[in-house]
Amino acid sequence: MAANTGRLLRVNLSTGKVGTESVPEQVATDFVGGRGYGIRYLYEELKPDVDPLSEENKLLLLSGPLSGAGAVAVSRWMAVTKSPLTGAYARSVGGTDFGAWLRFAGYELIIIEGKADRPVYLHLTREGCTVESASEIWGKDTKVTQDWLTEKYGRNTRAVCIGPGGEKLVRYAAIVSGRRTAGRCGTGTVMGSKNLKAVAITATRHLQLFDEATFNELAKEQVKIVLANKGFQNHREWGTTRTQNVTNEIGVYPVQNFRYGQQVGYEEITGEEYRKLRTGKFGCYACPARCGMAHQVNSGTYKGAYSEGPEYETIWAFTGNTDSTSKEASIAADALCDDLGIDTISAGCSIGFAYELYEKGLLTRADCDGLELKYGNHEAMVALVKKIANREGIGNLLAEGVARAAKQIGKGAEAYAIHVKGLELPAYEPRGAKTQGFNYVTSNIGASHCFGYAAQDIFGAIEPRPSDRFAEEENADLVVYNQNDTAWHETGIICAFAGRWGWVDPLFGKLLVAARGIDGLEDKDHLHKAGERIFNLERAFNVREGFGRKDDTLPQRMLTEPLHTREAPGEGQIVRRQDKFLDNYYKLRGWSKQGVPTARKLKELGLDSVTSDMTAKRGK
Amino acid sequence: MSVEINIPQFLQHYASGAKVAEVNGGNVGECLAGLVKKFPQLKPLLFDKSGRLHSYLDVFVNRQSAYPEELAKPVSDGDELHIINIIVGG
Repeated sequence: MAANTGRLLRVNLSTGKVGTESVPEQVATDFVGGRGYGIRYLYEELKPDVDPLSEENKLLLLSGPLSGAGAVAVSRWMAVTKSPLTGAYARSVGGTDFGAWLRFAGYELIIIEGKADRPVYLHLTREGCTVESASEIWGKDTKVTQDWLTEKYGRNTRAVCIGPGGEKLVRYAAIVSGRRTAGRCGTGTVMGSKNLKAVAITATRHLQLFDEATFNELAKEQVKIVLANKGFQNHREWGTTRTQNVTNEIGVYPVQNFRYGQQVGYEEITGEEYRKLRTGKFGCYACPARCGMAHQVNSGTYKGAYSEGPEYETIWAFTGNTDSTSKEASIAADALCDDLGIDTISAGCSIGFAYELYEKGLLTRADCDGLELKYGNHEAMVALVKKIANREGIGNLLAEGVARAAKQIGKGAEAYAIHVKGLELPAYEPRGAKTQGFNYVTSNIGASHCFGYAAQDIFGAIEPRPSDRFAEEENADLVVYNQNDTAWHETGIICAFAGRWGWVDPLFGKLLVAARGIDGLEDKDHLHKAGERIFNLERAFNVREGFGRKDDTLPQRMLTEPLHTREAPGEGQIVRRQDKFLDNYYKLRGWSKQGVPTARKLKELGLDSVTSDMTAKRGK
Repeated sequence: MSVEINIPQFLQHYASGAKVAEVNGGNVGECLAGLVKKFPQLKPLLFDKSGRLHSYLDVFVNRQSAYPEELAKPVSDGDELHIINIIVGG
């Protein structure tokens, strides 16, 4: 029996041409799947300097090699493209069960090319793929869109789609499936630029594995390990809705556009307080955690607001940024972001940026359509979410993201734009969690917490060693470890939480061999090397686009202004030795002093073909 | 039994800045009780009102989780304990 490397569906929206290909075995061996497949195809197929919103850009939707079978927490999906927000490589991950359905339709990835001349959606079945008119759903929100597709094609249909935010090219538009999103980097914006409203799949559960019997035995073993893990049990109980308790206590909960590390009155927004509004739980395919916590508002201004969320990042996005402690407003804002299809982190950060500009007098009430952007005013915050998604008034400016908006405003506004490479920062203050901060600096997508999460800083994790969260260049090894670890986990699009439930080390490789039929994938060193290969190829993509050391920097605020932590430890922290960190980090990575992968490193990783692309950039 | 407890950075603030404590005990619970005796402020941060380890904390003995025995997990002379928050991220 031949190796099961996965099938690729290629759709050109300009020509309407649809075709299928098999992934070559060498690609499956070297890049394993998921994020590995994503960067391998994007690097090979995308010319440098392509406008991300042009028809030349490509959008990849990927499932993982273990998705859709009985294994736990491996059925998420991923979008990979060139970001219209950053101009760099983009990868964003979403949940629920679209990843499994993609496998049921017979594919592991879709490459979407070109641009349709009118709004369309794709409909996939095991029999093929058709391009259909989206005239009835263009302009509709993500819930209405998915309901319409289910009504049309039946209950065995799952979809990813964009909302009005993606259609109007908000630069941080999300791709939404169910109520979960691939939120970061504007992957939904690319979808909108192609006039692609949705990808719907109608299929029944059917999956071909290389060795199904062995896979099922291993999956049973995995379930046993997971159910007995304390981390799993805690996650099933809380999801991420308690993380703000921890981050406020240690002074890394960003408040007022990253001026403070602890919010006054955070006792009102603890996980226990959100739990009082919890109405249910939801989750991803074949995962018993069901870690999504649904909340409903039963009284007051936001009465009736219902969200399958917010989780930690979104709780922060709509409390810390505007210094509001209204749980109800955060639920309403989260629901709007999901309906309208925009990233909660970038939206919240852009709103926090506007509030600070208002305080400093760089934006006036007239500039803000009559809204008073005073800290604590959550009603203005919720109003801004709608304006951003619909590009109305001040929302049209904030829809560009903080980096572009600051340039347009001028008058020194750039000092208040909190981003790395154009991607707004998530909910961990870099001055109080410096390993995490330096992950933002060197992540291949900009300031993402999920690209090499520093659990050592935040939770006291001890693998591979504990960190001193105020240390700088001394923690370069941890940043490399966390980033590579994330990269090889994401070859299987393993849930970032489930990857810590004790099963990956003994079982992931064995599951891969049973699914793929490629010997060697069970070898830990091989997987670690694949993670490093993926990370380096992503970096090479960015270098080819003109990124380098000059772009590897935290916002000026973190380098020049002391952090204020109120009652928490860490008062006065500042990032002082970013240059020394970069020197150490590049050395550990085997890159030049300018942050370009060297020929030696590329050869070691089997990426020799990339060397010529780097030659022109090296040392500049 | 003399064991070494590594106090995580998120608790050092409540332990007079100490990073490590030497304590005596035959199991994890006795060792943590010894830690609390040295640094009483840690008690509510480690245990809930009924005296159980908080559901969001995990103790590692020689880099292996003590769960499910947890406080009853035996320790030996020279063992190394770490206290961590359950990793949930966001």
